[in-house]
Amino acid sequence: MKALMKKGFNWLDSLFSKAFTPAWNPLYQLGALSFFYFWIVTLTGIYLFIFFETSITGAYDSMERISVEQWYLGGIMRSFHRYASAAMGVCVTLHLLREFAMDRYSGVRWYSWVTGIPLLWLLFGSAIGGYWLVWDIQAQYIAVMTADLFDWLPFMVDPMAGNFLNESALSDRFFSLLVFLHIGIPLALLLGMFIHIKRVTGARTDPPRGLAVGTLLAMLLVSLWQPALSQAPANLDVAITTLGLDWIYLNPYPLIESWGPGRTWALLVGFSSFLTILPWLPSRRAQQAPIAVVDPENCNGCGWCLADCPYEAVSLKVHDFKKGHKQSVVDPDLCISCGICAGACPTSSPFRHVDELVTGISLPDFHIKELLSVTENRLRTLSSAGPRIMVYGCDHGSAVDELASPSVASVSLACTAQLPPAFIDYVLRKDLADGVMISGCCEVDCHYRLGNTWFDKRFSQERVPVLRARVPREQIRLRWLGAQGTAQLAREVAQFQMALRKKEPAAEEELSND
Amino acid sequence: MINARRYLAQALLYALFFLPLVYLSQQPDYRHMDEHMAVLKLAVRHAGAIIGECTALSEADFANLPANMRRPEVCPRERSPLQLELIIDGKLLYRETVPPSGLHKDGISSMYRRVVVPAGAHHVQLLMNDNVAIEGATWQLDQNIQLRPTQVIVASFKEGFRLQ
Repeated sequence: MKALMKKGFNWLDSLFSKAFTPAWNPLYQLGALSFFYFWIVTLTGIYLFIFFETSITGAYDSMERISVEQWYLGGIMRSFHRYASAAMGVCVTLHLLREFAMDRYSGVRWYSWVTGIPLLWLLFGSAIGGYWLVWDIQAQYIAVMTADLFDWLPFMVDPMAGNFLNESALSDRFFSLLVFLHIGIPLALLLGMFIHIKRVTGARTDPPRGLAVGTLLAMLLVSLWQPALSQAPANLDVAITTLGLDWIYLNPYPLIESWGPGRTWALLVGFSSFLTILPWLPSRRAQQAPIAVVDPENCNGCGWCLADCPYEAVSLKVHDFKKGHKQSVVDPDLCISCGICAGACPTSSPFRHVDELVTGISLPDFHIKELLSVTENRLRTLSSAGPRIMVYGCDHGSAVDELASPSVASVSLACTAQLPPAFIDYVLRKDLADGVMISGCCEVDCHYRLGNTWFDKRFSQERVPVLRARVPREQIRLRWLGAQGTAQLAREVAQFQMALRKKEPAAEEELSND
Repeated sequence: MINARRYLAQALLYALFFLPLVYLSQQPDYRHMDEHMAVLKLAVRHAGAIIGECTALSEADFANLPANMRRPEVCPRERSPLQLELIIDGKLLYRETVPPSGLHKDGISSMYRRVVVPAGAHHVQLLMNDNVAIEGATWQLDQNIQLRPTQVIVASFKEGFRLQ
């Protein structure tokens, strides 16, 4: 099922990337979009609260006034409030499904996954509370069914339903309590969102500006076309027969009726518990490789690995034996074995004059010296006279192993950013290859979050370790095409070879003229 | 041209995202109950009778008590559970024993049930026993009612059953 879901997401990724470009692809920004919608809901909620009256008749009437008399501002605010919360619900659900499909929920990532589960309850609680405040027939339905659900719990000594028996049982104070809950639960949600991203370095909480503007524009058009309005006012003396239901947030409610509160609780709590333990359930996923290891002899405590680690797994401590120095230390509970730290280490340079390439930090399963020997061996066995290409990729992006041919050598790393930029320099300078192709996960959707971002910055000399200026950029291509882009990568390798072939006679001519 | 096509594709995808979302935020309609039905809500909050009798203390026991706690009698705290029955048109729709709340079972007993019945004329019988020492119902209501479609009628208890 997971593989099927992954295929589906990969297909959607390609579709959305074509329309939005990878940088704006909303599927790569589901978490950031959820934050964005949360802020829209918060700001519009503050505005609505100014005009909202917390009383039995005031609640409905004040919302009607906001929507009708002030349609141009209050009405739009209300529509934004509703549609942004609905959009947040959809984005959060897609975010959960996507992280599951892409296998980004287990191992070190358990923390973000598990802390995300209570957020679902808080999100639903916030939305349901909002609908309740309006006090229309949908709110009446929510009140009656929520009371049925909660009164089933054994610790509910005094039935909650007693507050909604009929019109005379309802009190203004109840609306004050609802307002308190509708502010308190979203605040708890915000705190939960902060905890959710706590272990993530540089978490994306703002979508790209273009995507944000597009979303706001779309919401504005929708709000003008279909403004959010109340249904008929609630009347507890009259039973509801038919109502318009928000199927995004109120979908468990019909279950309360058909299954009864006990089975509904069992489903909700059971499903949440299942999601919570999912990271530890047996799976066919590959075991995580051994975590990064620091070699104190070669670590000078520069902190580059610490700066690049996407999960804050690296920190500095006093050096084991070099006085006044520091050295890196890896937290085994946080390390995800991506190898980005090894790619960032300044000692990971094949140009070093050492008998054996030992680096300050590296992955034991695929050490930098092994990467060097694999690169050299694969390039030396190329038989074709045509432009020789070295393709570096990652295990989660395009399948670079499939591209190997007499003129193309390839190496797949845990993450492309495991490749120190000096390797590109080395391969070209030693004339082991005529061109280097770098590939990996889709832009903005690195399996290890920041691999291609760091690589791009190292390439453009914005981040250490930089790719030196002397390295001819025309002999390098960076293509972040993702798992679904293997065929396209093969075409681009062929085009790259053609481009290099065209360049070769010109270069030879230049040499003969000299 | 490429940009125009890209923006058009974006507009289409925004529409594909927001249109179902707008629709699902209020549609399709949900049918909660048939129009020709009515609702009877039974809500009772009542403290059952205290179980047992007060017993007089012997002089020795009385003397053993701290001065501020000396009472001539010791009275039990536990209350009787409520035994409730709802019968409509001779058909038993609800029968339950509602225990008293509290760790010492000395609090009130509370219950709530919602029953959907067809609109029209009905004969409602409510029986409650709030004292286990007594056989049969200690409180009861026997009444004919006429329910309008979608009407909500509440049967509550305050020194006797009443329908509102």
